[in-house]
Amino acid sequence: MTSERDDTRRLEALAVYDIMDTPPEPEFDDVVLLASEICQTPVSLVSLVETERQWFKARIGFDLPETPISQSVCSHALQSPDLLIIPDLTIDPRTSENTLVTQPPHIRFYAGAPLISPDGVTIGTLCVIDTEPRPQGLSLTQKRSLSALARQVVALLEMRRNSSRKDDLFRRQKRISSEVRAIAASSIAAQEAGGIGTFDIDLTTGTMKISAEGCRIFRLPVQDEYPANIIYDFILPEDRHLPSADSSRTDGTASLEASYRIRTPDEGIRWISRRAAFHRDAEGRAVRMVGTLQDVTEQRNAQARMQALIRLGDALRDTVDVQQAAFDAAELMAQALGATRAGFGMVDAEAETVMMHRDWRAPGVATLEGLHHFRDYGSFIEDLLRGETVLIGDVTTDRRTRDHFQSLLDIGIRVLVNVPIFDKGRFNLVVFVHYDQPHTWRREEIDFVRSVGDRLQAAIGRVFAEEDQDILNRELSHRLKNTLSVVQAIATQTLKTIGDRGPIESFEKRLQALSSAHDVLIHQNWTGASIRHLVSDTLDRLGMLERSELSGPNIFLGPKATQSVMLLLHELATNAVKYGGLSNGTGQVTARWEISGPAENTQLTFTWQETGGPPVVEPERRGFGSRLIRMGLLGTGGVDIRYEPPGIMVIMRASLSHLQEAG
Amino acid sequence: MGQSQMFAKTTILVVEDEPLLRMMAVDLVEDAGFEAVEAANADEAIKILECRSDIRVIFTDIDMPGSMDGLLLAAAVRDRWPPIKIILTSGHVHVSEVEMPVDGKFFSKPYDHAQVTRTLQAMAGASH
Repeated sequence: MTSERDDTRRLEALAVYDIMDTPPEPEFDDVVLLASEICQTPVSLVSLVETERQWFKARIGFDLPETPISQSVCSHALQSPDLLIIPDLTIDPRTSENTLVTQPPHIRFYAGAPLISPDGVTIGTLCVIDTEPRPQGLSLTQKRSLSALARQVVALLEMRRNSSRKDDLFRRQKRISSEVRAIAASSIAAQEAGGIGTFDIDLTTGTMKISAEGCRIFRLPVQDEYPANIIYDFILPEDRHLPSADSSRTDGTASLEASYRIRTPDEGIRWISRRAAFHRDAEGRAVRMVGTLQDVTEQRNAQARMQALIRLGDALRDTVDVQQAAFDAAELMAQALGATRAGFGMVDAEAETVMMHRDWRAPGVATLEGLHHFRDYGSFIEDLLRGETVLIGDVTTDRRTRDHFQSLLDIGIRVLVNVPIFDKGRFNLVVFVHYDQPHTWRREEIDFVRSVGDRLQAAIGRVFAEEDQDILNRELSHRLKNTLSVVQAIATQTLKTIGDRGPIESFEKRLQALSSAHDVLIHQNWTGASIRHLVSDTLDRLGMLERSELSGPNIFLGPKATQSVMLLLHELATNAVKYGGLSNGTGQVTARWEISGPAENTQLTFTWQETGGPPVVEPERRGFGSRLIRMGLLGTGGVDIRYEPPGIMVIMRASLSHLQEAG
Repeated sequence: MGQSQMFAKTTILVVEDEPLLRMMAVDLVEDAGFEAVEAANADEAIKILECRSDIRVIFTDIDMPGSMDGLLLAAAVRDRWPPIKIILTSGHVHVSEVEMPVDGKFFSKPYDHAQVTRTLQAMAGASH
């Protein structure tokens, strides 16, 4: 089972996702639907593992919303970054006693892909379960798909957590999931619906008997016989080596399974799959070749679209670059749809112009990079401004483009897809796909385009939100520093009548130390700061960096500790300048830090040693500075101060994990 | 400072829209032994510069409302009154974001009084 430390990390990760015991969400349901379809199992689960139970965010073919940990097979899958496949649960010692195996529902086969968060914590699995053992386990494609879908689950969890515009996202995800469902459904329908033709070639005469469906597949008038070589006229030149030829048929060496493309007058290029067997005479010579024909274009396209959606999910998950995300989406869309050009442009909605960027193109197709006016090509910008995806099957007949079709044909656009992307309610980016030949849109292709658009919008929305956050951080920092300046001004004015300028100067310097800590933090995007950076910044502000020696590993402190450690270092350094090693022209300061102890309880030891200063005297009065120093790195002590030759030495210890806390 | 007490004091123009900060800056300038003239924004500062010829240094905030911020003011001063020295201050973090005028100095807010005082004295001294 798992170690206590792993359990803690997993529970923390689950808490961050805020996912346990939430209602079902369609996008997770879709993942288990796809997983069970792909792996051909009755059961699929998104299982999240706590210490006492596993709970299912999504389930298909399984009645319980959760099970005790004792019944969990998934908990065995948590240690490994790879799939866990148990072909027969009754044999495996980990599961043979499991009551789900020994009693109804009598599960027999298990395959689970770990759900690994970006921080490397495994929080559960996406698993498929069968009630029959499977000695062969899963095929390579099924394994890959299950792993890809597991990554999608984590991507969904991340998106769900990241977006500060959750309502918007939720609405959009509902739409995405209905589209994904439509695509999955249509791909299954395509497999069932594809008509199968049959053929029987007499190898001695070269004539072929072919069924009516077989004729329809090749767009031949229905009749019983054709010369076997007639099909060559339809096959794309680059695929002509794939089907059988007279010679390979006669000697019986033609491959028994083949796929090739044909060109049809009405539906463009189609994929044909052919399976055959040879009938041989008494001497073993092939005399007939008998087999089946099937138009598999829809299956292939559906598969390509599903693969494209999965790859898009991977590409968008960690993106921070809006333009790269838009280009990736356009390219994947173009390849899945067999288009001739795809790309994106930045939109100026007021001027109704679009600045086209780098585009993906089929061989021989020209680029559209540069500035374009929407109105030069028709009136479809009105639909885009309303947030609608524009799909035009033929620019010469569509009412939105027919008055401008020549300008579109001139730049190689016969078919047009435009997906609008919005930022804060403004239309500011358009993703496009073009074909140079007419194309009849299928329902599932339209769903696919919309789904890509919605996913892209969600990912780009997240990037924009992060950019906004960055701007907000800077603005807050600016305000805070102005506020610190005002505090400084008030103190200066309030304490004006006091003759002794010492206290006000100390105050001012402490305020600057605080402000510097803030600078360092904002520079690191509030993730924390390295110890070396803090020490050198402090000594540099006092002009004493040349007289100090710093050594220690590269260790980052959390934002909270950064602020307190910066103030502490400031007091150490100013004391050194006033009374200690840096108060004369020759003394030195050495700052050393190191870590020690076991991994789960690492200690940081920081040592400040002054040398070459005047004789050391323990101060009689304890001011703010020395009190702050005695409070230590975390404000809880752990400080050892020695007033001995060759100079004051301060040793501070604290737990590294506390120092690195974000809070 | 001895020399400036014998003659008229060197004059420094302080430009800052936040009254408390302006008050503090004026005190700093006077404590450093100079005469301070104040302006609450860049337009006021330009008017003052147009009718006085004794300003040696301008000590201005960058982030101010009005037709010009401190950087535009600095550019105008560099263009129309080249001998005047310029000190800029801002709460913005990155000095690299600030395009410094020639011979200008930048201090991040909240600034160190002692450092600003030393810079003022060096600049005012050099302009004599």
